[in-house]
Amino acid sequence: MGMLENKFQDNVVVAKLDKLIGWARSTSPWYFQFGLACCAIEMMATAASRHDLERLGMMPRSSPRQADVMIVAGTVTMKMALRVKKLYEQMANPKYVIAMGSCATSGGPYWQHGYHVLKGVDIVVPVDVYVPGCPPRPEALIEGLLKLQEKILDERPLTRKMA
Amino acid sequence: MSADQERLIAELVEKGLAGEMDEINAIEDRVLRGKVKAALAKAKRAAKAAAPKEEKLVEESPTDAPPSENPHQKFGKMIEDKFPGSLAAGLNDTHIQLKPNNWFEIAKWLKSEPTLHFDSLQCHTGMDVGENMLEARYNLHSMTHDHYIEIRIAVSRDNAKIPSTEQIWRIGDWFERETYDMLGIHFEGHRDHRRMLLPEDWEGYPLRKDYEVQETYHGIVVPKVKEGWE
Repeated sequence: MGMLENKFQDNVVVAKLDKLIGWARSTSPWYFQFGLACCAIEMMATAASRHDLERLGMMPRSSPRQADVMIVAGTVTMKMALRVKKLYEQMANPKYVIAMGSCATSGGPYWQHGYHVLKGVDIVVPVDVYVPGCPPRPEALIEGLLKLQEKILDERPLTRKMA
Repeated sequence: MSADQERLIAELVEKGLAGEMDEINAIEDRVLRGKVKAALAKAKRAAKAAAPKEEKLVEESPTDAPPSENPHQKFGKMIEDKFPGSLAAGLNDTHIQLKPNNWFEIAKWLKSEPTLHFDSLQCHTGMDVGENMLEARYNLHSMTHDHYIEIRIAVSRDNAKIPSTEQIWRIGDWFERETYDMLGIHFEGHRDHRRMLLPEDWEGYPLRKDYEVQETYHGIVVPKVKEGWE
């Protein structure tokens, strides 16, 4: 920080706005409650007291308008796929998607014969983090969320992107 | 107590057991009357305890009881008597095969007839039985009489129509919607005849044997079954 260093009192932190926004976003990714199948149980366990997602600044929201992260927890059927897409479109930017479990990443046990199952939620919405497992343990989901935090932290929302 | 008194009590108790209470009630000595009555009650209790045992022994002895009639035979015959020509096949021990045309009236009668009183539709499902036939199956149970029957109604694919029993057994509402969704059997008279699980605009009925998965759904490609992987 060169010039500005030691020019202020002790309780003032000087940072780049770009980085500050990234830090603020990464430490409060409110997620969209979105249980579709058994993965939802693990998601609930992750949010409950033992694993306690709120210590990471994450809080379940029941409306897509208030959420930053959509955790697609479970089997996405064709009927649901359209609704998942609609809900994703209703979320405000910046928005992120975690595909939780093998159903959401690739169709899971239905990848071959499930005529009614979407083979991976990335067909309808862009996915940021894939969490494997059937269903993934809370630790795995937390790791996925930490990876997402890293990704958000590395973003430079104010920096103009090079063409 | 003297021997005379004892003899008197024994005599009176015997009379009491035979139903003659006048003599006992006529005893003037209250103590004696009480003693007689107590002895009488004791004797009656003993007789009561002994009696059913004997009856039970008689019951348990091997008797040639007639074998209980199979409900499908019994009720199938009742249906045939009440609605002649409604059976689609002969009677057997496992189910009753009915024709679809007057199924609604039969179902109403099965529920309202006091000797049958099938008040609960326990399960309703459908099946593709091949040879261009679809079949709906009803498992009925009566809470009052505790008897079960299975009814089967086969229809051809070209005219897959069965009268709806949704207004008789309300549980049939979703059952019939599911059977319609999966097999395409139309339940005529159903008040909310929509697909149950699949989206409204889905093509085809998945549990039919000749079902072909549609290529796309709202622009999403539906992958076909990949061959050669086992």
